[in-house]
Amino acid sequence: MDKTKKMNPLMLAVIAACIGLPFVFMGAPFILLILCYIEIYIIAVSGLDIVFGYCGQISLGHAAFYAIGAYGSVLLHKYYNVPVFFSMLIGAAIGAVIGAIVAYTCSNLVFHFLSLATQAVGEIVYILISHSPGNITGNFVGMYTDSVSIFGFKLDNQFKFYWFGLVCVLIFLALKQALINSRTGRAFMAIRENVKAADGMGIDVRMYKVKAFAMSAFYTAFAGALVTHMTKYASPDSFLYKQSVMFLTMLLFGGTGSLWGPIVGSISVLVINESLRDLQNLQMLVFGVLMLIVIIAIPGGIYGTAKEYYDNLKAKKSAGKTDAGTAVSEKKGV
Amino acid sequence: MFFTLLISGLVIGSIYGLIALGYSMIYKSSGLLSFMQGDIMTLGAFLGITFYSYAGLPFPVALLLVVLISIALGFAIEKGVIRPLLNKNTMAIYIVLATIAVSYIVQNGSMLVWGTITLNFPSIFGISTIKVGNISFQPEALMCIVVGFFCMFLLQIFMNKTRIGTSMRAASMDAMAAESCGIDVSLSTGLSWGLSAGLAAIAGMLIGPIYGVYTTLGATIGRKGFSSAVIGGYGNMYGAIVGGILLGLVETFGTSYVSSTYRNLIAYVLLLIFLLLKPTGIFNEKAIRS
Repeated sequence: MDKTKKMNPLMLAVIAACIGLPFVFMGAPFILLILCYIEIYIIAVSGLDIVFGYCGQISLGHAAFYAIGAYGSVLLHKYYNVPVFFSMLIGAAIGAVIGAIVAYTCSNLVFHFLSLATQAVGEIVYILISHSPGNITGNFVGMYTDSVSIFGFKLDNQFKFYWFGLVCVLIFLALKQALINSRTGRAFMAIRENVKAADGMGIDVRMYKVKAFAMSAFYTAFAGALVTHMTKYASPDSFLYKQSVMFLTMLLFGGTGSLWGPIVGSISVLVINESLRDLQNLQMLVFGVLMLIVIIAIPGGIYGTAKEYYDNLKAKKSAGKTDAGTAVSEKKGV
Repeated sequence: MFFTLLISGLVIGSIYGLIALGYSMIYKSSGLLSFMQGDIMTLGAFLGITFYSYAGLPFPVALLLVVLISIALGFAIEKGVIRPLLNKNTMAIYIVLATIAVSYIVQNGSMLVWGTITLNFPSIFGISTIKVGNISFQPEALMCIVVGFFCMFLLQIFMNKTRIGTSMRAASMDAMAAESCGIDVSLSTGLSWGLSAGLAAIAGMLIGPIYGVYTTLGATIGRKGFSSAVIGGYGNMYGAIVGGILLGLVETFGTSYVSSTYRNLIAYVLLLIFLLLKPTGIFNEKAIRS
């Protein structure tokens, strides 16, 4: 009860920011673009959070799903004339199927070797889209595509796209929370905490790993489709290995296994990265240094650490109260 | 044609082998994955150019200097980044990410110092080609293969016959037991990270004269090195070399006889095939537990 009351002003501020910011920056397309990117990254990173934060399975190849969603949607639209919104959904579904296949075949691999396998998947997808058979993806030149249109209403600028993105974020986050609080979500966490114990309790580890990967890939692939139809252009450069690292960095910056972690992480890393853009050659260097500092200094991520601090504070307060109480009663007893 | 391909396959294969050797050492000594080998290799190549070409030192001296600097760097990274994280008991993924961060720093730092263009590593022997019958090849290619094999041989002796090597193996088997026998575990894990960096730097010095030196030289080779380590059996010293040579040959021959479009695909497909069908690799290394 107490907590919800305290969270309210913060929630209100977040809601106000979500609604107000696009109006404030209506005349600044660059900032609007960043806001749209934040939405897209929130979806992608929340997807990674399902498989890593909740199910404990590492992926260094999520750029592959990002690419599959993007290219799946673009190619379906281009060659089969599928309307853009549906092509995005189908693209994301293809991503989910491939995620399931990867998880099914790799389900016996533990941590480090899963990261190598997923990294290899990422590289393979990158090579396939940059050296496509028959040049169907436009290879390194990339290819242009249409913007999202819903019932004939074209989201052809960032301001319109922002609202569509916001709705998508809300739906995906709500779905994620529903998933986490379900039987499936609890099975994920059991696998994360102890695979053997989970197996012993009758949880079908392989099936749940497949589910986690498929869900996660769906999120990330949908985000990939979003980004290409927002920029109306797809090229292999956006799906390099460093994109996978970027997702993971955002997740770890924010904090894993929470609703807010991916949100905080996406916003902070994107803002940092964009503000370093002026440094040009120094950008990645400074980014690497920052990454290292955060990993060493606050391994729980920003949200995770803040939450821990807040919880500790509360625990101390209540502990202090009871301490004082017992001290008083002891004195009375004496 | 066949011999030319064989030589270039062996060249790139021994480079993969040296990188994979570093991965295996780190995995054996601390059970961790390092993603910075490739970029340390690039750094080694750049330092090599600086000492050999700009400062005019003789090649062996330059090589020794580069290796010593890299060993110190690897040691410092283990002590400054990896050890504190291990002591904090953080999730292993943070260590993976920390090594990626270090690789970003090394790669972009060297871009800042040496620029973005491909630098020419000057010829070491003063002659451009050796001719045997109707086969001609660069003397540097031969050196690459010979030095590569020599390093592997030396490392094997170091690990099995010397006191430090033995203590390093003991520390990796059971840190606590080794500690109670009076072995400095912290020193020996630091050393193995240092030695891996040294191996990567040697690889850079060897490949530099053949491929030229540029900032992303090591990034791809570093990722493919994982493939050789897995093919041979992750954590196995012989496996690293055999896996590297095998990958180098398959890649070179596959490229010329089948198709060159998917040259880079071969390493990753092989990696997946081995991980899924034979995760213990050719040498049946039991390090991978499923």
